[in-house]
Amino acid sequence: MHLEVLAYPFIFLGLYFEVFMLLTFLSAPARARRNRPATDATPKVAIIVPCWNEESTIGGTVESLLNLEYPKDRLRIILVNDGSTDSTQQVMDGYVSNPQITVLHKENGGKHTAINAGIDIADDCEFVGCLDADSFVAPDALREMMAAFADPHVSASTPAMSVFQPKSLLERMQNAEYIFGIALRHALSAVNGIYVTPGPFSLYRKSVIDEIGGFRHAHQAEDMEMALRMQRAGYEIENAPRARVFTKVPKSVPRLIKQRTRWTTGFLRNVLTDYRDLVGNPKYGVLGIMILPLGFVAVIGGMALFFLALGQVASDVFHTFTVTSGVPLAYILMPRFSLEWFYSPISFITVISFVVLVLSTSFVLIGRSVSKTDTDLTMGLVGYTFLYAFIAPFWVIRSLFDVITGTRRAWR
Amino acid sequence: MLKNTPLALKNALLALAITALIIGTVVYAINYLDRQRLSELTAIQSQLATDTLSLETQFSLLENAPCEDIASGNELSQEVSTLGDRLSSTEARLGSKNAQVIELKKQYTLLQIRDYLLTKRLATTCHITPTVALYFYSNVPGTCTDCDRAGYALSYLRQTYPSLRVYSFDYDLDLGALRTLEAVEKVQQNFPAFVINGKRSYGFSTLEEFEKEFPKALFATSTASTTTKK
Repeated sequence: MHLEVLAYPFIFLGLYFEVFMLLTFLSAPARARRNRPATDATPKVAIIVPCWNEESTIGGTVESLLNLEYPKDRLRIILVNDGSTDSTQQVMDGYVSNPQITVLHKENGGKHTAINAGIDIADDCEFVGCLDADSFVAPDALREMMAAFADPHVSASTPAMSVFQPKSLLERMQNAEYIFGIALRHALSAVNGIYVTPGPFSLYRKSVIDEIGGFRHAHQAEDMEMALRMQRAGYEIENAPRARVFTKVPKSVPRLIKQRTRWTTGFLRNVLTDYRDLVGNPKYGVLGIMILPLGFVAVIGGMALFFLALGQVASDVFHTFTVTSGVPLAYILMPRFSLEWFYSPISFITVISFVVLVLSTSFVLIGRSVSKTDTDLTMGLVGYTFLYAFIAPFWVIRSLFDVITGTRRAWR
Repeated sequence: MLKNTPLALKNALLALAITALIIGTVVYAINYLDRQRLSELTAIQSQLATDTLSLETQFSLLENAPCEDIASGNELSQEVSTLGDRLSSTEARLGSKNAQVIELKKQYTLLQIRDYLLTKRLATTCHITPTVALYFYSNVPGTCTDCDRAGYALSYLRQTYPSLRVYSFDYDLDLGALRTLEAVEKVQQNFPAFVINGKRSYGFSTLEEFEKEFPKALFATSTASTTTKK
């Protein structure tokens, strides 16, 4: 039996998921969401910016919030300094004279405590939002987000995230991935399948937070835990595909692996412990039956495919080394490709992989189109397609190792 | 019941059907391509059989002066060799137990034997001394651990020294003519097995050792070639 046969179940599930997402994207509820105009309603909103050592980016984050197209008397900005050790405090204090802004300094207690401290002083607000201090919002983002709350069952809304001014290949790869995520969240919102309300600019109905409680540590995945808690309570999580927010991303591979390890362990720990009852539970619709189980499949499948590929490559290298031993290099390295169709490497696995690749690329382009994000994706798509697979296994393996061994790592 | 659950269910079932359809289409398309490859092999094989027969007939008709057609003989050997490359590629794709592959291998083996006999006749009649290597391998798991190495070394030698003629045979192929050839050449079931210009040898250690089995004239007079065969 060829080793590639072991990859078939994962390829089938990947293809199935993409087809499902495409169908959902084309459905009437998703179309209605895309056509939903930004609202003129202006309920009172507080945007909380939790900060820990963000001296270089907090200024830009605050300026972008001040530029939001929203009545100033209806928008509060709450900056929470979670015990920073750099000059974040001084930068924040520069805004105390602005009547829209409230500055709060507290001892370091973790991101969830900083957000909760902000929520505690947002008593007069109908909605609370959260914006990471390394992210920046587009001027119309809040009005787009607010339009998603017309239905009283909607407890939260998520934005359309992309990377802030991506320059390096690694940043461009992440940009393509984030924009893929825009299309994914947009489609998932049509079937209430969103399982995370990301730190960069998710918005919550405050009455729901008052009902179900504030943010928790939740294995360093407080945004995911809040989304799962809202889903369990029977609420819906919406998405505003044109509410653009731009976030800074890791600039080096080790930092990216560290960030993704935190996200993946957060997912595994939350879903394996406090939210285990959601997995496979038809009561929670697509989230319970498809999204959460496929999250596990992605982790296990990612690792399995990596080791499978590694084993195959090692076996091929060993075989080639053994077979060619003693034969001159000039002959071994002679190019042997042929343009004749007879020798074309068309096989089941290459064709299906190509179909999956076309669908994935389509989703990235769909994400860019629905969010109206003006960004060049050429290099990002190339990197995302051909290089990401070499990096992702490292955080998947590290995450599984951490979960199995109970290893806890620092946020940064 | 959650809002939009009917939509999700409908999409889930539809997605399953579409995914099955995509996979079914790909499987059908791949099978179709493989059938086309086999058809092409069959067509080439049929053409080669005609060419071989034609040359043999020509040889019989011009028995007194057949040497003018050495070039045709060489060309035919080259075509048989190219066919072998395609057959190897098809065998790697479809597996050595595929019924059509086995059938094609039998026909190819017959072509090789006929070409081998033709080469011998031309050599005797025209007083030339080509270097001919018969290579017997086995696909039975565990019976020939060095066959891949031996096959690669022979490909290298054939590519580098174009005057070398190599005929490869699957020892276990159920074919009367092959059984007879094995008996005539007294080849034992010890793989890899070689008959180089009539001299039998078994096993493969290194390329350097293997080259000693060949007549020195092969390396002295042949011009090294760097042309890719396929």
